[in-house]
Amino acid sequence: MSECIVITSGKGGVGKTTTTANLGVALAMQGKRVAVVDADIGLRNLDLILGLENRIVYDLVHVIEGECKLRQALIKDKRLDGLYLLPAAQTRDKNAVSPDGMRKLVAQLKEEFDYVLIDCPAGIEQGFKNSVAGADRAIIVTTPEVSAIRDADRIIGLVEAAELPEPTLIVNRFRAKMVARGDMMSREDILEILAIPLIGLVPDHEDIIVSANRGAPAAFDEKSIVGEEYRRIARRVLGEADVPFVALDVPDTAWTILKRWMGLSGAREVAQ
Amino acid sequence: MSALWDRFFGRSNAGSKEDAKSRLKVLLVHDQVELTPPQMEKMKAEIMAVIARYADIDGDRIELKLERVESGGVSLVSSIPVKRVTSRAAG
Repeated sequence: MSECIVITSGKGGVGKTTTTANLGVALAMQGKRVAVVDADIGLRNLDLILGLENRIVYDLVHVIEGECKLRQALIKDKRLDGLYLLPAAQTRDKNAVSPDGMRKLVAQLKEEFDYVLIDCPAGIEQGFKNSVAGADRAIIVTTPEVSAIRDADRIIGLVEAAELPEPTLIVNRFRAKMVARGDMMSREDILEILAIPLIGLVPDHEDIIVSANRGAPAAFDEKSIVGEEYRRIARRVLGEADVPFVALDVPDTAWTILKRWMGLSGAREVAQ
Repeated sequence: MSALWDRFFGRSNAGSKEDAKSRLKVLLVHDQVELTPPQMEKMKAEIMAVIARYADIDGDRIELKLERVESGGVSLVSSIPVKRVTSRAAG
């Protein structure tokens, strides 16, 4: 039973592409066959984040227009069995694809893969409609900022209007220290406003910049705390319950440091 | 001093996030119903005018706001303190 998940946000720059790449890697690490699809036609980037930019010959528009076979356009990630990328066209625009074309493409991908992840473009126009067309469910990415949360709320409404089931939420760039001093909305604050289930709370961490520079998503890195959260998101997507959020490991205070010195607690420092 | 004390124990004190939350709560409801603050003011004035025909109301303490309800919908919530009900109410 395969599933197509669209990763969307409304607002640009909140981490949809990074989330898609990392979730794709993490699901493939769990032994799933995964296709990640870049639906941001004209502004492709998923290839770059995955480090596969030099291997593109055909793209999503070629497949939809019948200029090549699906198999020819899919790029296999050599680092990980089961992970494939379908890149976006760079020289076309969003109107090159229709919701119907996407639906057929997704149906074809679902025959060969356990998971099809669609990296949705920012905005609520054609690109969004195309991305949602073939999806079975949606993951909304936001950051703890007012503008991102406002747009996420709008997108939740549009996802419901598209008759998809209730979406789930990933809060990106979470800073536990700012939350502790009351200058960033907490997990509870955000959920009080958006009221959908949380499946990821990703710490704001420099590993994301480094991994993008290298074209190797943080989920590959066993030592990365943010990579660890993406691996946990994959487990939650697969249905595992009660997987704790890395960002909510107890932040250090004088008292917890003292306790650790005395060997009373194994509380781990939250990455900032 | 108390902020330092709170910080030492890792407690939070109200910071800018309370502004974020309260602004968002108002904004998201208005995004949903597409009613602008000036339209809300106009509606409030019109409702007040109707009620004033039947009761003596305290105009300064009237509250009229849109709130999100659990079911996901929006509810118009008002609190209108009445000084006394007038006998002018006769139709």
